[in-house]
This record gives sequence, C-alpha cells and structure tokens, in this order.
Amino acid sequence: MTDLSERQQLSYIAGQAADARLNVELETEGMTLNIGPQHPATHGTLRIIVRLDGEQVVWAEPSCGYMHRGYEKLTEVRTYPQVTTLVNRIDWLGSFANEVPFILAAEKLMEIEAPPRAQWIRTILFELSRIANISLFLGDLGVQLGAVTPAFFAFRDREHVLNLIESVTGGRFHPNFDRIGGLKDDLPKGFVDETRRVMRKMRTYCDEIDDLLIGNEIFQARTRGVGIIPKDVALQYGLSGANLRASGVDWDLRRDQVVPMAWDDVDFKVWTHPDGDSFARCWVRLQETREATKIVDQLLDGLPAGPVMAKVPRIIKVPAGEAWVSTENPLGEMGYYVVSKGDLGPFRVKIRSASFNNISVAPWVLRGVYVPDVITILASLYFILGDIDR
Amino acid sequence: MTDTTEAEPQALPGDGLREGLVDELRRRLGEALVATELRPNDDLWVRIDTASWREAGEALAAMGFEYFCYLSAIDWMPSPYGRGEDDPTEPPPERTTEVVQGVTGGATRFQLLARVTDTRRHVGITLKSDVPDDDPTMPSWSAVYAGANWHERETHEMFGIGFAGHPDLRNMYLPTEFEGYPLRKDFPLLARMVKPWPGIVDVEPMPADEAVPTESPDVEHAETDSTAVAAAAAAEPDTSEPGDAST
Amino acid sequence: MGLVDRGRMPGAIEKLMNLGRSYSMWVYQWGLACCAIEMGAAFASPRYDVMRLGVIPLPASPRQADLVVVSGTVTDKMAPAVLRLYDQMPEPKYVISMGSCANCGGPYWDSYSVTKGVDQLIPVDIYVPGCPPRPEALLEGIVLLQQRIKHEDMAAKWRGETTEPLRREPIVVGGGNVA
Ligand code: SF4
Repeated sequence: MTDLSERQQLSYIAGQAADARLNVELETEGMTLNIGPQHPATHGTLRIIVRLDGEQVVWAEPSCGYMHRGYEKLTEVRTYPQVTTLVNRIDWLGSFANEVPFILAAEKLMEIEAPPRAQWIRTILFELSRIANISLFLGDLGVQLGAVTPAFFAFRDREHVLNLIESVTGGRFHPNFDRIGGLKDDLPKGFVDETRRVMRKMRTYCDEIDDLLIGNEIFQARTRGVGIIPKDVALQYGLSGANLRASGVDWDLRRDQVVPMAWDDVDFKVWTHPDGDSFARCWVRLQETREATKIVDQLLDGLPAGPVMAKVPRIIKVPAGEAWVSTENPLGEMGYYVVSKGDLGPFRVKIRSASFNNISVAPWVLRGVYVPDVITILASLYFILGDIDR
Repeated sequence: MTDTTEAEPQALPGDGLREGLVDELRRRLGEALVATELRPNDDLWVRIDTASWREAGEALAAMGFEYFCYLSAIDWMPSPYGRGEDDPTEPPPERTTEVVQGVTGGATRFQLLARVTDTRRHVGITLKSDVPDDDPTMPSWSAVYAGANWHERETHEMFGIGFAGHPDLRNMYLPTEFEGYPLRKDFPLLARMVKPWPGIVDVEPMPADEAVPTESPDVEHAETDSTAVAAAAAAEPDTSEPGDAST
Repeated sequence: MGLVDRGRMPGAIEKLMNLGRSYSMWVYQWGLACCAIEMGAAFASPRYDVMRLGVIPLPASPRQADLVVVSGTVTDKMAPAVLRLYDQMPEPKYVISMGSCANCGGPYWDSYSVTKGVDQLIPVDIYVPGCPPRPEALLEGIVLLQQRIKHEDMAAKWRGETTEPLRREPIVVGGGNVA
C-alpha cells in the first residue's frame, strides 16, 4: 500500500481492526455469490464470481467472454475500409473514437496524412464521442448506487450530442465515417452554431451531475476511500485513461504523444487526482467531460478550410509493414498494432482495448471489500463489455 | 502549453532517447537482445531471445517502463484459406504457406508481441520474441507485470502458446469445450467455408488498381469505395463552412 | 374463468382481455451489446418514453415478464442463458429480436463465437432490423406486436389449436419476409 494519504491509512487500519473484532464475535461461513452474466449493474454481460466471508469478499474473479465476437480474427478476412465498420462496435458508446487509431495506423503505413480540416473534424467528432460516452457513464453511475434520476438526465442530454454526430455522419452511433486519407464528408451547414449551443448545454449537464451526484453526501460516503488503487498497481495492470489519472499518474496520450490530430493546437488541462479511490475516478471523468466541451469550442474557433480528403488510390492497398498507433479514447488507451503484407486487408491486427486492462485489476481491488462496494468499484472502473471481450 | 495538477511533464522524446534505450537494454541483456529496429521520433522494436523473455521484462521494469500495455502473439504463416472468399464449388486455389516474419525478423512461426511504456519519458517499446515451434511455451511475465496475467491467458487461448510459471491458464473467452485456437491462421472460419462470401456473388467490374478519383458522377455512388467523395467534396465547396469557421 | 377453460369465450370478453394484455406489457430488457444502449434510449429516455405505449420496462425478473427484447449479439457462451431466460417466462410470452446481430449474426456472420441469430434458440415474433435500429424502430416493433395481440384468438389456445409459438408468423419491422 503505497501512496496513500495519512487519512486513508488511518481509515484503512481502523477498518481492519473493526473487521477483526467482528470476526471474533460472529462466526461467519463462506459463500459463493454469482453476479451476472445478465445483471443490471454490470453494463452488459459481465459475470463476476465472488467468494464471501460474511459480508466481505475473500476472492473475486470476473468471468468474461459472454460478448466475445472475435474481432481480431474477423479483421484478417476484411479489407481495410471494411475493418472500420467492425471496430466501431468495440466500445459502442464512443464509436467514432475507435476508428481513429486504426485509420491512423493504416495512414502511417501508407505514409499519407489527412488534410488539416479532416484532422480537426476528426478531433471534434472524437471529443463529441467522448462526451456522449462519459455523460452516459455519469448518469449510469447513479443507477448503480441506487439513484435513478441521473440516468434520465444523461439520456436526455446525450441525445443532443448524438444528434450532432448524426448530422455529420448519418448514424447515431457506429458512424463508420473515417476513411483512410480523411473523412467521408464535410460538416453540414449550421453545425458550428449548433455545436456551440450543445456544448453549453453539456456544461450545464455537468454542473447538474456535480450537484446531484458527485457533490452528494451519500455518494461521497459510498465512494471515498473505497477501492483504492495505488499508483504502482495501476501502472502494472496497465490501467489507462481516467482510472490511471485518478491514481495520480499524469499521463494523457492526447498531450503526451504526437499523432496527426488537432489536440496540439488547443489548450486543455489534464486532470489528475491523488486519491485513487472510486470517488477520484468519477471526479476525474466529470472534469474530463467539461474539458472536452472546451476542447470542442476551441476547435470550432480555429477550424481550417480546405478539402477533407487526401489523394488516395481507389483500391486501398496498404504497403507491407507494422505500425502501432494508440489514442486516448473515452475509456483509456486504445491502440491497434497493424501488420500488413501489402494486401487488401490487414495480415494481423492486435486490438489493445482499454477496458480489458482496466477490469483485469478487479481481482486485486475487490479483495477484502464489502459486497455493496463491489458494485461501486466496478461502476467507477467503468468498462464496456465489447471493449473487454472484443 | 497545457497545465497540470502536478509538475510539468517532460518534453516529448526527440532523437537520441530511443538510441539510449537500445544501448541500455544491450548493456543489461547482452546477447539476449537479438535484433532492434528504430524509427527516429516514431517507434522502437526489439527482439529478445526466447530464454531471456522474462529477464527482458524485468530489465524494462527496472528501466522505468512500468506501464504494461499489452501482450499478444502473431502467427506468421499465411492462411491456407486466404481471406475466405473462395467459391466452395470450385477447387481451392494454390496458396503459399511460407512463413515470412516482419520487422526485426525471426525464425519461428509464432512470435510473442508485447508493449510496455514509460509514462515519465513518454516512450514505448514493442518487444518480440520467437516461440519455439516444437514446444510453444514461453516464460511468463505475470510475476513481472501483474497485468500480463490476463493477456497471457488470452494468448494461450487464441494461439495455444503455453506460459511457464503462469498461475492459471484457464480459457478466458470461449467455452471450455471449444476446440482449436482461433487466431492461428489455419483455424477456418466455417461460416465462410459453407457459403460463398456474399461479396463474390455479384461483383461490379473492379476498376484498375492505380486509378485515381475521377469526377465522373456515378463514382459517387460506388459503394465499394469512398475516396470518390473527396472529389465530390472538393467540387462542391458550398457544402463546407469556411465562412463559419473563420468567425 | 370457466368459459375460457371450456374454450367458449364470448367475443366481447376476448376483445377486452386482449386489449388489456396489449397495453400492460411488462418487458424484460435482455440487453447484450451496442443495441442495448439504443434500447435503453427507447425505454429510459424522456425523448422516446415507452411507457406511453402501455409498456412497463421494469420487471425484476423474467418470471414477471410478458415480452423480452433480445438486443445485441448472442454468443455461443451466452446461448444457454438466453434459453434459460425464455423458459422462465410465463405463457403467453413474446420475443422481439432487436438488431442485425440478434436477427442473423449481423456483422459477425462469419465469427467463430457468435450465434447466427437468436431465432436458432427461441421463437421470435418481431424482428427489428438495423445496426443499431433507431429507438423509433423498436417502438414500431412494439406497436406491431400490440396489434397482433389485439387480434389473437384466446379461446383457440385453450382448445389446443395453434398455440405453438413456432407457428406464429414473425413480423419484420419496415416490411420484408422471413425466408
Ligand atoms: S446489431 Fe449492430 S448495434 Fe446491434 S449489437 Fe449487433 S453490432 Fe451492435
């Protein structure tokens, strides 16, 4: 247990002492509890098997695979333009963000770069899908803790963002809009003004969630000090995104790596939190949503003119080679290792999805917590089943 | 440019950093570092000797590569079924199954693939290592990087590569009774075998490979390709919003 | 209802019962993948508001449900759970299959781990095509199902005729045949 504040250490020790007393007083019996595969609190079809001693988890193991669809195999029998359709569906709440690293990897192999306007629009859509994704997380968080209202708020305001994405790409989610060399189309008329309006709305939504949920005493009592993941454990398990930043690691791929996207041209703050508990993870996500709305506003201000598509051959053949590209997706680091042999389709694509690593810490972090906290911790780790199982 | 709650992050890595990393790795691993490939300002690949796979992980962890990104494998044998688009009524075409490795070379059909990152210096390394053909077992990383546990389970399930020292190599995704290793190239996708791939049933005449986007109106509706839209977009500037953008 | 048991039900009563059944459907949400989010949007969001159609999306278990919406990819590992869920539901029960995945495997038609359509496991009444279908399409599916329920012959069920769910012709939202 490193990197814990004194307050956390004290509360941890006090908790241990209380448990020891309880265990002496009450003989408890072991019990195995099965949560899922279909359970309202698991965002889909995750199954978790926990062995309990009284109210405490002795051992927990997520059992995945109920949503395993075989993406890595299927990419080997698809052409490059077909693969984007497929990878859309990995993290189904932020679909557009899934396409980008794959397209960037293919472009890297072909040694072409999208024109500036396409890069900016890509970044705008990327951040919009981040907002759509995390706003639903914030609403769903309430449901997991027994507060239903925020979910209605989330579904109400998320629709505005989905409308924006639909106006550009034609699909509410799963847009399949990114092309090797640029984008399918330009922005529609009136998009800029409408987006500004929606971003204002989303900031209001964030304030509402802040008042309703994050600032709520009950919420804080249930999340503060629960499920602490120290820095070194988080790194070892490869946690990424908000989960890593909530453990105090200042690491954001948008800022810390060079990709042909427009993040270099805007100012934004990378939020971190030193605590590493469930509350920190939720808090960082809320701040990130706010930050994303600001990024979109700045991008709209400086949108360059020009074409949205570079010159690429009609039949896309990617030269032989290997490339790794990852970006900071709503859930964390998402990357593709693309191996090409000069064919119409990739030879092998290794998909590194964020949730797989994020949830692999569950057996470690769930050990010793109480049953109600299992749901809190899993909710705050935030995973999407398609992103775990792929 | 950006400001953070902690100290300013170090500047992005330039040239020189990756060369230094290769030197340090060579100092720590010696002969076990079989091959390297370095693209300045882009990426770094190293190939590790099979027996030293675990030591390489320990060395990297000690060098500050604390963040475990992923671990997987590659099957370098081209698939005997191609992309599964053959007409099942015709005799299957001849295909080469010659194993050709990619970046940093290699000698075996399977190669491990892993990536670790240094979050302070903002640099990552992709590692590869040959998996022996006769006994596909590798040393496990699960004691070095805790996150490797699940990735090794996945690799075991998908490629049939064993990991010596792994606590529990149960199936991760597939039912226990599932037979075969899906990501091996010789694992057939049966749905494609029994039914001709819909794409070959009514193909439009394919344009020549080197053809570039043209202004012809019917190209816009070609479903197989999207690049024509660029030409369309360029031809109709009023669909974009340069005026809006400048305000 | 002794009349019902003997298979002689006055038409008016039957109409009334069908009306009641069609406007108080408890629907169990079997959300599996991406489509589950669109189902959530249809059932939980104020914009689509499914309760105005007389559908209650909140049963605690399949044992209380009349209708199940299977939305998303059914994998081979999940298939036994889907079957078990269906067996737990009381008769009369209806199934809506939402999304290409649940209809036929969708984008994963050639995958090694995906069941090619939930209709291989359980009989489906309404197919809602799309990937994902818009929430409006799901609502249309529900309306079509309600129309079908309104014209159902309750008495035939008790006489032992055409009660096999398999013999009900499925409907495809937006037209089309199930070949
Ligand atoms: S039909 Fe499409 S949207 Fe629905 S679950 Fe399948 S892939 Fe996802």
